[in-house]
Amino acid sequence: MRKLMSLELKKYKIGGYIRGALIANVAILGMVLLMIHGVEYADEAVFTSFSEVFIGIDTFVRGTFIVFAAVLLSRFIIDEFKNKSITVLFMYPINRKKLILAKLTIVFLFTFLSIIISDLLVSGAILAINEFTHKMSEPLTASILTEASISFGMNALAASCMSLIPLYFGMRKYSTVRTITTSLLIIMIVCSNNGGVSLNNIIIIPITLAIIGVFVAYAALRNIEHVDVIK
Amino acid sequence: MTCLLRTNQLTKTFQGKEVVSNVNMNIQKGEIYGFLGPNGAGKTTIMKMITNLVKPTAGDIELFGEKLTDTSYHLLGRMGTIIEYPVFYDKLSARENLELHCEYMGYHNKQAIDEALELVKLTNTGSKAVKDFSLGMKQRLGIARAITTKPELLMLDEPINGLDPVGIKEIRDLFKMLSKEYGITILISSHILGEIEQMADTIGVINHGKLIEEVSMEQIREKNTEYIEFTTNDCKKAAFLLEKHLGVSNLRVMDDHIIRVYDPSVPQSSITKTLVMNDVVIESIHKKNSSLEDYFLSLLNGGGIVA
Repeated sequence: MRKLMSLELKKYKIGGYIRGALIANVAILGMVLLMIHGVEYADEAVFTSFSEVFIGIDTFVRGTFIVFAAVLLSRFIIDEFKNKSITVLFMYPINRKKLILAKLTIVFLFTFLSIIISDLLVSGAILAINEFTHKMSEPLTASILTEASISFGMNALAASCMSLIPLYFGMRKYSTVRTITTSLLIIMIVCSNNGGVSLNNIIIIPITLAIIGVFVAYAALRNIEHVDVIK
Repeated sequence: MTCLLRTNQLTKTFQGKEVVSNVNMNIQKGEIYGFLGPNGAGKTTIMKMITNLVKPTAGDIELFGEKLTDTSYHLLGRMGTIIEYPVFYDKLSARENLELHCEYMGYHNKQAIDEALELVKLTNTGSKAVKDFSLGMKQRLGIARAITTKPELLMLDEPINGLDPVGIKEIRDLFKMLSKEYGITILISSHILGEIEQMADTIGVINHGKLIEEVSMEQIREKNTEYIEFTTNDCKKAAFLLEKHLGVSNLRVMDDHIIRVYDPSVPQSSITKTLVMNDVVIESIHKKNSSLEDYFLSLLNGGGIVA
C-alpha cells in the first residue's frame, strides 16, 4: 500500500502542491493580520480575542484545503479516468481496490495534514506577531489553547472526510469543473461565518457531511472490481 | 501445442446491443494470432475482456489454463498490452513511464527498459515529455511498454497505426523476433490484411461481433486459389461455352464483364481458343493468385454481410 502511494506521488509530482499549500498559508496569514489590524483603517476590527482568531484561521485553512483536495481528486482520480490512463493502471496485476484506495488515502492524508500544519503555522505566526503588536491583550491561557487544539483536530478530520464528496459529482462526467464546484459549495456551507454564526457550529452538519464523504469513498471502492472500464 | 487462451461462447452486450456474440477463440502457445476484422467488429471489446477491463455478459475466458475472474489480478502480470491507442502519463518522459510500468508490474530488471527502448528505436528522447511525442513515437513507446517485462502473451490492438512504412517493417520484424526467440505468444489485431498476412500463423476473422472463421495461414495457402480472370463482352455466352466445350464447372461470374475460372486443369490457351472461335471478344485475360484479401472479403460477404 505504501509502495502504491509512493508510486502515485512519483507519477504526479506532489512537490508542486506542497509549494502551493505554503503560498496559501502566507495568503491566509496576510488576511488574518488584516482582519486583526483592520481597526486602524476602518471602524471595527473583525477579531478581538484569541478564540475568535483561532476560529478565523481554521475557517480559512479548511476552506482552502477542501478546494485543494478537490484539485487533487480531479488530478489523481478523475483525470486518470478521463485520459483513459486508468486502463493502463487496471491492467497491472494489482487489486483495483488497492489502487483506488491508495489515491484516496493520499488525498485524505494530504488534506488532513495540510489543515493541521497550516493551522499551527498560521496560529504560531499570529501569536508571535502579537508579542510585538499586543493587539490582543487578554492573557493567553492554557484553556484557550486546549480548546483551539481540540477544535483544530476535530474540524480537520471532518473537513478531510467531507473533502471526498466532490469525487462523486466529478466522476459522473469525469469533470474537473464539477469536482471543484462541488468543493466550493461545501465550503459555502461549512466555512461561512456571518457575525460569528457558522453552520459548522451546528455539529450535526459537519458530521453529516463527513459521513457522506466517507460513504462516497466507500462507494467508489465497493464495485470497482466488477465494472467495465470504458470511456 | 497447448492452448494459451481460449474463449468459450464469449458474449458482450452494451445497452441491449450485442457487440460480441458467442465467440470461441483458441490461441496456441507460441503462435502469432492475427485478429482480422473491419472497424467496429468487436476486436477491441474482446481484447478488453481478456484484460478484464470489460466483463463478459456471458461465456468465459480461459487464460494460461485458468479461468479469468474479476479478481484474477495475477494473470494480468503475464500479459503485455496495447489497447486502442497507447495512453501514458503525459508529463513524464519515456523512461519514467517505463520505470513506473516496471514498478507496477513488479519487474525489477532496469536493463530491460534500455533493451525495450532500443528495440523500438526510441533511445534518444531523453527527458522529453510524452505529450510532445508524435503518434508514431507513442505507438513505439506503447510497444516498448508492452514488451519490457517479457510477457508470455502480448496483446496488440492495431499496433501499426501511425507508423511510417519503414517503421511498420521494423515493428513487424520485431514481433517475429519476439515470437521466435522469446517464444512469446502474440495476439495482434488489425483491419489491414496485408500486415496480418505477413506475420500471422493463425487468423481469426471477426465481423459484427461474430468469429466467422479461425484458420491457419498454412491452410489458406494450401487452398486452391489460383485462377484465371478475363474480361469479355458477353459473360453469359462465355460461361456457357466454357462449360459446354471445356467442361469447366468451377467458374464465377463476377459482374457483367468479368469471369473467374478456378479450374487449374484448364490452360489459358484453350480458354482463349474456345472463346475466339465462337466470336466472343476477350478484352483481357490474366492468371491470378487469390490473396488473403479476396479470401477475407469472400468470408465477410459469404456471411451475407457487406463490409
